[in-house]
Amino acid sequence: MTLLFRRADEMRLLVWVAALVATGSVAVAAAEATSFDRRQLLIPVVFVALAVALHAFLAIRRVRGDQLLLPLASALTAIGLVLMQRLQPDDTPLLAQQLTWMIVACGAFAATMLIPRDLTTIGRFKWMWALLGVALLVSPLLPVIGREINGARIWVGLGRFNFAPWEAVKILMVVFFAAYLEEYREVIARPRRIGPIPVPPVPYLLPMLAMWAIAMAIVVFEKDLGAALLFLGIFLAMLYLATGEAFYSLIGIALVALGGYVLYQTFGHVQVRVDTWLDPFHEEMRFGAGYQIIQGLFALGNGGLFGAGLGNGMPHRIPIVWSDFVFDAFAEEAGLAGAIALLALYLVFVYRGMLIAIKAPTPFLQLLAAGLSFIIAFQTLVIVGGNLRLIPLTGVTLPFVAYGGSSLVTNWMLVALLIRVSDITARVRGTP
Amino acid sequence: MELTFGVLLWAVRIAFLLLLYLFLIRAFGVLHRAMSAERVEGRPLGTLVVERSPARTPRVGERLPLRAMNSIGRDAGNDITLPDEAASARHAKLEHDGTEWWIEDLGSTNGTLVNGTRIDGRERLRAGDEIAIGRVALRLDR
Repeated sequence: MTLLFRRADEMRLLVWVAALVATGSVAVAAAEATSFDRRQLLIPVVFVALAVALHAFLAIRRVRGDQLLLPLASALTAIGLVLMQRLQPDDTPLLAQQLTWMIVACGAFAATMLIPRDLTTIGRFKWMWALLGVALLVSPLLPVIGREINGARIWVGLGRFNFAPWEAVKILMVVFFAAYLEEYREVIARPRRIGPIPVPPVPYLLPMLAMWAIAMAIVVFEKDLGAALLFLGIFLAMLYLATGEAFYSLIGIALVALGGYVLYQTFGHVQVRVDTWLDPFHEEMRFGAGYQIIQGLFALGNGGLFGAGLGNGMPHRIPIVWSDFVFDAFAEEAGLAGAIALLALYLVFVYRGMLIAIKAPTPFLQLLAAGLSFIIAFQTLVIVGGNLRLIPLTGVTLPFVAYGGSSLVTNWMLVALLIRVSDITARVRGTP
Repeated sequence: MELTFGVLLWAVRIAFLLLLYLFLIRAFGVLHRAMSAERVEGRPLGTLVVERSPARTPRVGERLPLRAMNSIGRDAGNDITLPDEAASARHAKLEHDGTEWWIEDLGSTNGTLVNGTRIDGRERLRAGDEIAIGRVALRLDR
């Protein structure tokens, strides 16, 4: 009996998630009455079973602390599954694949909760993480396992499955930076000053710069703008969090502007991204490079305030809607109301993550939790901004929602890490 | 028949949106409760008790809760602000490494004293130690 109440808030919130996924699944299935497949009704059942299993796992392990992240991540994944059911084309079973990846993600979540026994030890292997990260980033360029899909060579293929290594690298990068900054924060935080201009201690910044530069070079080589932007964001955010030196951020923004300009001048695919952002309706792009974003904008307009209703929109008019434009598809069918609720879910997630960071008992854990929360915030901002044509479109995934196994698995590992940090805090402070 | 199915379909669609909001409201509720609970019960990692404070802010006897990283100084951007002319803008730093508390002087003009001795670099603190920064004295309490 006590097992049920050990994490009562989490349990109660999961009941709402269950209701949400069941309703969504029924709405989509009923709308496609002609091709109704009874097996589709199994999806909410399997998903809820998985979420409850994770909850039970945490309760049995007597994990303390946060009870909000698991339901939030579950709700977002549930929305993702409902959308996969809605958006899957006849020839690709997106839903079955995504659900399979969710099972893998649950395994990865549990493993991250258990290994290593003492979370603070992962900081000691920071050079190993850095090396592993670089190796993972190089792997898509290798001949046999590397694959190119939709113009970006960022995939590693194993049989039928494709994996995007940069998704895992984002977490490794945060761990490495958190460990490195905990050690050298002092030197980096107090730069010598020549007049008002701080001179950063370059030798101490070198390892971080090197890690970042390698990541950037590879990513540019693999034509993946989204990952490059995310890595740069992580680098600057963590440097600022650890040092409180606004000057570093200013240098960073200047570097982005400069790098962006150089990339725009030298790489065709960057030019296309920027041009389609500035003027997708241009005669030459209307039915070419700008087609996807134009259809996305029409979908947003069609959705209006309260949406066309789940299963009642025309999201298939957007090419590859399930990976890059999943936010537009949701906004069309659930409307502005639904889109705002979705963004609010991310907001609560990130806010919770930052609270965990503030309360964490050591600088390493603080930086780790803040960096991980930043990943979710930044990815959401970049992809939703791209979908709404506020910034050029880049290929990062909408966390938990967009189609993609590597994304789902690594984001659930990220949730596990945040819960572990909050568990340690609760134990040190003696709170439930 | 057709009509009722259509009505039902819309009911389910609206229910989905409503449930999304109800979940969101519940999540906000849990977040709010977790925050207020932490404010009340959550034992901070440690506290500094103000022993002597000529500037009257903070008051003598006031308990200042500590986090893992705390900056102390005259500047308002510090975690612990001491409006004392003898304190430097960024004076010292108090850190918890998981088990112990450490204090470090950040190159202040008048130095940081622990139990009356001026410290040089990073120094470990024990519960009950008195820290003097400018004319302010603080005692570490767990």
